[in-house]
Amino acid sequence: MKKNMRLYKMGVFFRKFILYFILLFFALLWLIPFFFLVMGSFKSTSELFQVPFRWLPKHFDFDNYINMFQQIPFLRYLKNTLIIVFFSVVGALISNSLIAYGFSRLRWPGRDKVFMIVLATMILPYQVTMIPLYLMFTKMHWVGTFLPLIVPQFFGNAFYIFLLRQFLTGVPKEITESSRIDGANEFEIFLKVIMPISKPALASVAIMAFIRAWNDFLGPLVFLGSDRLYTLSLAASMLKSNYDPNWDLLLPLGVVMVLPVLLLFFVLQKYFIQGITMSGIKG
Amino acid sequence: MEKKKALAAVMATMLIASSLTACGGTKDTENMDASQTSSAQTQAVSLDGDKTTTVKTVKMGDNDVEVEVTDIGKTGTFTFWSAYTGDSAIWEQKRVDAFNEAYADLGIKCDLQFVPDGAGINNGKLLSAIAGGTAPDLIVTDNSISCYQYAAEGSFMGLDAVLDEIDLDVSSFFEGCKDVMYYNDVCYLIPQDTNVIMLYYNPEIAKECGLDPENPPKTIEELDSWSDAMTVKTADGSYDRLGIVPWLDSGNEAFILPYLFGADPYDKETGKVDLTSDEMLNYMAWIQGYAKKYDPEKINAFTSGLGQMFSPDHPFMTGKVGMTITGNWFSEALKEYAPDVPYKVCAVPVPEGGRANSTTFGTNVFAIPAGTDPDKAQLAALFIKFAEQGSINEDNFSVWRSIPVIDAAFDDVSLTKNGDEMYALERKIANSPENGIPALCSVSAELSNQFIALRQNMIYNPDADAKAALQTLQDQMQATMDAK
Amino acid sequence: MKKTVKTEFSEYKNSRMRRAEAKNGILFVLPWIIGFLGFTLYPILSSLYYSFCDYSVIKEPVFTGVKNYVTLFHDQTFIKACKNTAYMMLIGVPVTTFFAVAVSVILNSKKLRHTGWMRVVFFIPTLVPTVVACLLWIWVMQPETGVVNTLLGYIGVKGPGWLASPTWAKPAFIMMMIWTCGNAIIIYLAGLQDISESLYEAAEIDGASFFRETISITLPLLKPTILYNMVTLVIGVFQWFAEPYIMTQGGPNNATMFYSLYLYQNAFTYFKMGYASAQAWIMLVVAFAIILILFKFLKFGESNNS
Repeated sequence: MKKNMRLYKMGVFFRKFILYFILLFFALLWLIPFFFLVMGSFKSTSELFQVPFRWLPKHFDFDNYINMFQQIPFLRYLKNTLIIVFFSVVGALISNSLIAYGFSRLRWPGRDKVFMIVLATMILPYQVTMIPLYLMFTKMHWVGTFLPLIVPQFFGNAFYIFLLRQFLTGVPKEITESSRIDGANEFEIFLKVIMPISKPALASVAIMAFIRAWNDFLGPLVFLGSDRLYTLSLAASMLKSNYDPNWDLLLPLGVVMVLPVLLLFFVLQKYFIQGITMSGIKG
Repeated sequence: MEKKKALAAVMATMLIASSLTACGGTKDTENMDASQTSSAQTQAVSLDGDKTTTVKTVKMGDNDVEVEVTDIGKTGTFTFWSAYTGDSAIWEQKRVDAFNEAYADLGIKCDLQFVPDGAGINNGKLLSAIAGGTAPDLIVTDNSISCYQYAAEGSFMGLDAVLDEIDLDVSSFFEGCKDVMYYNDVCYLIPQDTNVIMLYYNPEIAKECGLDPENPPKTIEELDSWSDAMTVKTADGSYDRLGIVPWLDSGNEAFILPYLFGADPYDKETGKVDLTSDEMLNYMAWIQGYAKKYDPEKINAFTSGLGQMFSPDHPFMTGKVGMTITGNWFSEALKEYAPDVPYKVCAVPVPEGGRANSTTFGTNVFAIPAGTDPDKAQLAALFIKFAEQGSINEDNFSVWRSIPVIDAAFDDVSLTKNGDEMYALERKIANSPENGIPALCSVSAELSNQFIALRQNMIYNPDADAKAALQTLQDQMQATMDAK
Repeated sequence: MKKTVKTEFSEYKNSRMRRAEAKNGILFVLPWIIGFLGFTLYPILSSLYYSFCDYSVIKEPVFTGVKNYVTLFHDQTFIKACKNTAYMMLIGVPVTTFFAVAVSVILNSKKLRHTGWMRVVFFIPTLVPTVVACLLWIWVMQPETGVVNTLLGYIGVKGPGWLASPTWAKPAFIMMMIWTCGNAIIIYLAGLQDISESLYEAAEIDGASFFRETISITLPLLKPTILYNMVTLVIGVFQWFAEPYIMTQGGPNNATMFYSLYLYQNAFTYFKMGYASAQAWIMLVVAFAIILILFKFLKFGESNNS
């Protein structure tokens, strides 16, 4: 009996070890592309193409980064990206909080049926609406401006509506009752009572809207024309498709594009996870 | 006498020799704008009653260049979309700056925007702008094939009247270039310059394999035997080196090689797509022969690289192929990424019945969108005229080895003056009467892409029936075209 | 999808208050209604109309009936694109799901400590902008200088040409898909946390193995989450665009010509807006059907097990 117990314990330990090892193996594998990106960003073009492959660059100097900032109008692309990001986040916060409030804390006939339509739009592939939107924005002279990327953000997004509604449904009714008795109108209640307590959920929405706008590729590809309006993502893809991709500039650009998102993640990790979790659970 | 000297000076700098036809003798210079007292050095000759052409010295980057300035009595700003990227974009900026300096006194300004992806040709931006009425007044694009499709669909302005207005005569342009310039006898596109396709070969590899580098292959049979001689197989059946991969570089473009083989994928006269001619089948058989020999899946590592010419892993640069068919720009790529790899060039070898010592013209073209204000169109055309000058193109020619679209203009290029051998060969090939630009029609873009896809399929399935596949594609494209 | 509880209107006695609330409710939701009509419903319906037309942006649409649909089914490239997309659905989606579930289950195992940083590791690839991820994977998958083939070389395997090979290009894309499955892992972990600890304790007393527990407790209870993630993946595969557009442009030999890429080409390279709209509508209908099947399939399994 005693022997068996020891065997069992050894078995448990061994199993734990195996599982941990598997995880560790994959986790390290997962980091390799990042490692490559950072190391590659220090390599010269000839080093990048050198056979056999070497993990580390010959020199760690910032020549590539300096060249990148000098040869690519990085600040312009950054500015364009930030304009779109800013309005996307603002638009998402304003519109989705209002809409979610209307779907969760106010009752009106047909509400839940309409909400089903909201949910249904979540599975609508963007490609279905892309062409008519392109034609519509063409007629409105919006193609070649930021407007097609910004304006729709002010009219709600099913994903964020769902997320905020989940949150607001969980807020007890009593919280708004007293203000209502005090004669506050609905908008005041929304602004002064609900908004302040929704900060964590709003933070999640803001972060997701930020990431989405920062990383978006298809939208800018379809709607932006001139290099003057290019976002970082679009610029990176265009540089890649040049006759000369200049990899020694592209990889540093990649690092610079990833960094802000990673920093944001490590600072606001909680809200990232919360947003994804809330949208996913029992979805 | 002074006037005559000045005129001679003007003539010497003029690329567009044809401007002279509009020159109704020398008239006085009264029409000249008296306000032209800027730092730019000014010489003046009047060429016409209401149009004055003067010569100025302006900055092109760091250099002073002499340019012609034509006063048509109109002022204004026009917008210009340029497709160029990378170093070419830097050159474009210099060119526009030079134009703006030269025309500042006349109150003409070019507003330059870089619109990658062929000036919006490849991704719908230009079409959207035309449909929405926000199109630029001028574009320059590297995708002349799609651009032609736009012209055929009526998206561009017919230029004959405008060219006449600003005295730009295009009649002396290479006949081969005219394929892309005219649709139904109306001129829509003006080539800025053009490229020449050649066979690049590594003379050291040739020597090593007992071939005479001074005597490059002239026929397809010779090319095949050179290729076989250069090929080095390893014990395990893979390759250390190949002679030529016929679908690499320009071989991967849709119709360059089929054209040189003698095929005419589209007949302008009859409006018929023709992918099943004997020449085309001959070409396909040749390609499939190589595919069978090589096993394309196996030589992936050779041809893939990062798929581009401007990377040090191009197989010609790494010595994995001894020959490749590509354009003059490849010299610049070699200079940048493989300066130690020796190379020589010759005309692309062709089979019997093919177009020997010839090339297709790969060109960058200017176009003015339909619906552009007529005055702005004239200003835009002034820019085209400006851009055709040898002094403006000098950097372009000397860096990329691309060539002017008029034979006479070769004389002004420094490469010619310096007796550059390769440039002389380019000139010789450029003058072949058989040159042209194949398969230009109202479905050019799709026809090219579909043909490339079909050829890849034939390469990966070397035993597949090329004729049947080509027939299907031909019918499909004909139907698409007829539906337009 | 969340089941919504029917609201009892009768509890409201004052009908004026009720009306005021209804008015407010609609006012609050108004931005969505406008957005839905303008940016969703109108595009969907006009897309349906265009799918029956020849439409090249500059000229007005010309009604041609079902011609676009008929042509599509004779279009070799379209058929290839469908096959490639089906490949990703039938192989890519299950493999990715399997991986994400497996990693989540192990990460969730109470016996393992110090796994917090690993969650972060699995999650951060999802934060990399798609374009950067593509640039990165072009390098990672290089035949000679790529990381993957270098690693394979260490264990004596000569790696294939990956993106340059018609056979291996799609597996390369699946690897990328797996690399970016961090969102799904987070959702699975949240789903796993909801499974009551007592179930496992009971199973352990019965001497069930970790594997056994996973099969008989974890997976059945995780089904709704799996469903959600699979639906997300399926829609993702249909919309799979930036990756082939940037990395392969559909090649080699159209091996990575996916549905959305061909749709984009038809719309914005060939300006066949009607033809592309027909593709979009087929995509909508098929995506919807697949999602319904997934629902049926997973629901069916659920009732069988419980």
